[in-house]
Amino acid sequence: MRREVIFLLSLWKANLLAAMEYRAAFISQVLGMMLNNAVYFVFWMIFFDRFKEVRGWGLTDMLLLFGVVAAGFGIGVALFGNVLGLAEVIARGGLDYYLSLPRPVLLHTLASRSVASGFGDFVYGVLSFVAAGQFSADTVTRFILGTLLAATVFISFLILVNSLAFWIGNANMIAQQATNAIITFSLYPITLFDGTAKLLLLTLIPAAFVGAIPAELVRGFSWQSFGQLFAAAIFFFSLAVFVFHRGLRRYESGSAIQVQL
Amino acid sequence: MKRTAVFPSLIRDIRKYWAIFRTQLVNSLAYPLDLLSRSFSMVLFMWIFAQLWRTTYSASGQESIAGLSLNDTLWYLMMAETIILSKPRISTQVAEAVKDGSIAYNLNKPYNFILYHFSVSFGDSLLRLVPNALIGSLVVWRLAGPPPATRGWPLVFVAVLAALAIDFCINAMIGMLAFITEEIRAFEWIYAKFILILGGVLIPLDFFPEWLKTAALSLPFAYTTYGPARLFIDPDWDRFVTLISRQGAWLLVCGGILALIYRKGTSQLAINGG
Amino acid sequence: MLAIEVQKLRKVFQTKQKAAGLKGSLRALARPDIKSVEAVRDISFEMQNGELLGLIGPNGAGKSTTIKMLTGILHPTDGNALVLGKVPWKQRRDLAYKIGSVFGQRPQLWYHLPAIDTFLLFGKIYELDDAVTKNRIGFLSEAFEITHLLETPVRKLSLGQRMRCEVAASLLHKPELVLLDEPSIGLDVVAKQRIRDTIKQMNAHEGVGVVLTSHDAGDIEALCQRVIIINHGKIIYQDKISNLKRHYLTSKQVDVRFAEELTAPPTLPGTDVIKVGRYGMKLKFDTQNIPVAQVIATLAEAGNLVDVTISDPSLEEVIRTIYEEADKL
Repeated sequence: MRREVIFLLSLWKANLLAAMEYRAAFISQVLGMMLNNAVYFVFWMIFFDRFKEVRGWGLTDMLLLFGVVAAGFGIGVALFGNVLGLAEVIARGGLDYYLSLPRPVLLHTLASRSVASGFGDFVYGVLSFVAAGQFSADTVTRFILGTLLAATVFISFLILVNSLAFWIGNANMIAQQATNAIITFSLYPITLFDGTAKLLLLTLIPAAFVGAIPAELVRGFSWQSFGQLFAAAIFFFSLAVFVFHRGLRRYESGSAIQVQL
Repeated sequence: MKRTAVFPSLIRDIRKYWAIFRTQLVNSLAYPLDLLSRSFSMVLFMWIFAQLWRTTYSASGQESIAGLSLNDTLWYLMMAETIILSKPRISTQVAEAVKDGSIAYNLNKPYNFILYHFSVSFGDSLLRLVPNALIGSLVVWRLAGPPPATRGWPLVFVAVLAALAIDFCINAMIGMLAFITEEIRAFEWIYAKFILILGGVLIPLDFFPEWLKTAALSLPFAYTTYGPARLFIDPDWDRFVTLISRQGAWLLVCGGILALIYRKGTSQLAINGG
Repeated sequence: MLAIEVQKLRKVFQTKQKAAGLKGSLRALARPDIKSVEAVRDISFEMQNGELLGLIGPNGAGKSTTIKMLTGILHPTDGNALVLGKVPWKQRRDLAYKIGSVFGQRPQLWYHLPAIDTFLLFGKIYELDDAVTKNRIGFLSEAFEITHLLETPVRKLSLGQRMRCEVAASLLHKPELVLLDEPSIGLDVVAKQRIRDTIKQMNAHEGVGVVLTSHDAGDIEALCQRVIIINHGKIIYQDKISNLKRHYLTSKQVDVRFAEELTAPPTLPGTDVIKVGRYGMKLKFDTQNIPVAQVIATLAEAGNLVDVTISDPSLEEVIRTIYEEADKL
């Protein structure tokens, strides 16, 4: 375990060095992403300008929601950036490289890339949390916890979706749609949804565990939200690792994709 | 003398681009799951939006907000979403071509780089429009009832084509940013988000505060989605004429800028050797 | 001890076939046509520790597939293999600590960073002590003459420099076996020579075994002691290079120059004239039909010999002949 941590740290260091080679591009991506998120928030500003509050959610709650989602997403893709293009890596036979090295394939593959804009998301998330005005040692702790758990669910979901590439070859579009879907939906308050929709956001596209529930946790601690979030993180993570390794077995048997001889 | 010389070459070009367009159509069919996944997104998005707006309308206690009923709003969103989901990643493709220099190699090929990508993207878009629109319609019909207007679809179709053309030009321009910066993804995202707000994809412009609505209508984004979608729920001849003329104007502007950037960028490449 | 032991290795791939055109695409949607491709039919061979083995074959012959199976990246359909005493596809990670690889088409050096950063990262990947890593880097950069290149971003290096760094990287963890797949592809003659020399050095001093796959017979000729020729997923020949050239083909080429102008070029039965010039000629003949001595003697009688060169066919020609003969079977 310790060896993997050392390895991860050196991998992240290499990514950071590589990003620093292009300082201007790095900064522009970070700022660009912050702007991008702000624009998304504008929707809610327009919405709540007209509707004031819906089913107990108002603009402040949206700030917290955005905070946790952006920070979670940001830290996730900053540290495990290859998760976004994993389907492509699989389809192109890119796993061969990681398979030939003595480190856990999933970990190595995911951490071999850093998405610079993720840092922008992270900073935005923190700023959004601060702007909600509920700053205290307590809320900060819950924010960190919520962010980390949200990131875990998010990354796990992406691993699952991208792993489809092992079975269907070209999963790039599906992966991309699913990625956009979970990001989009995580940015909606759960109280807006009834019945089936709520179920959907808790299972197939676990956006509720990336946004609404972590945000709830930051609003006010409850064993229920914490328990749900923690369980979801464990569940999706285990499932993701399992499915990926199943797919890897298929990949190694050569029947995964249309192989170029 | 010159006119007869141009005409056959134009026919030849059109045939060429038609062939490219058809190949792209076939290419897309090679990945059927890919097509289905986009349609799946449509179902998901419409479902979520139905929940959101149903809750919002009932919480507000009103039948009509800013002149739109719940039914209007949902059909509007369906149309806007259909257009959004039907767009291929042109900017990435163009950026790749710029970054690896193949845009320069394309100068040697007997077709225009821009028109080639235009044909390809149109093939992709049209292929996706049909299933997206069908599936979206099924979902919204089930959730909110029949569409507010069933006539005037040809008008809407024309408006959608114009919308896609403007969107292509803007996307290609973003791709060309690769001449200046390595990563254009941030710009792709920003454009996509602008469309979401100022194009009225997430929320109809009709719900905007007045000053913002005016601002949005003076930008090209509204004409890539809001325009056709709004026309769809109220296909009025006057509305159509206004829309199409504004779209035409934006198409000229965006197309013109794109041509300029392309010429400048490729001539730079020719000088600097990529 | 054997570095590699392969017995009856076989690999069959299932690929989806799609007919051309729109109809084909639609048909493939409803009823996909799955075709079996036997990439590797029946491969058996052995390699000693510290050997320099060449694996040669045309595109699609099954070389890459075989290499993938030997590194554990791909599981075979049938057959056994032991690499450094381990079953590659079962003990992939253990094996990974002991082997290195360079794929000409797939670089492992981080493009935007100086090579040394990748080397340091590899030190962590292979769990080497910091001190060990530093020593290795020092040693390898001297051997490969890349010390002055270490701090330059890889993207700024020439292909030859990059390949030297790639091969150095593959040796960082002192592997017992290194697999080089097309390491000199795209390199000029001088760069090729440098890489070949350094690989030879490494093999001599560190005893690291080398498996070299290539289309370039020149690489094989320069580096390898033994060669395995693969085509259509089967081994069609394996032997020492010297034997290959000596036994397989008995033809020779004679290049002769005379002092005076050649007015009536001598004719020798059993020889083929390749080229006739003003002062000399090139002949090809089979030593089974006419012995070398007779050819030389006849030529010597034809005029004043200034220069005679007798050469063996190039490995390229030999291999081409072997492909042709195997195809005929």
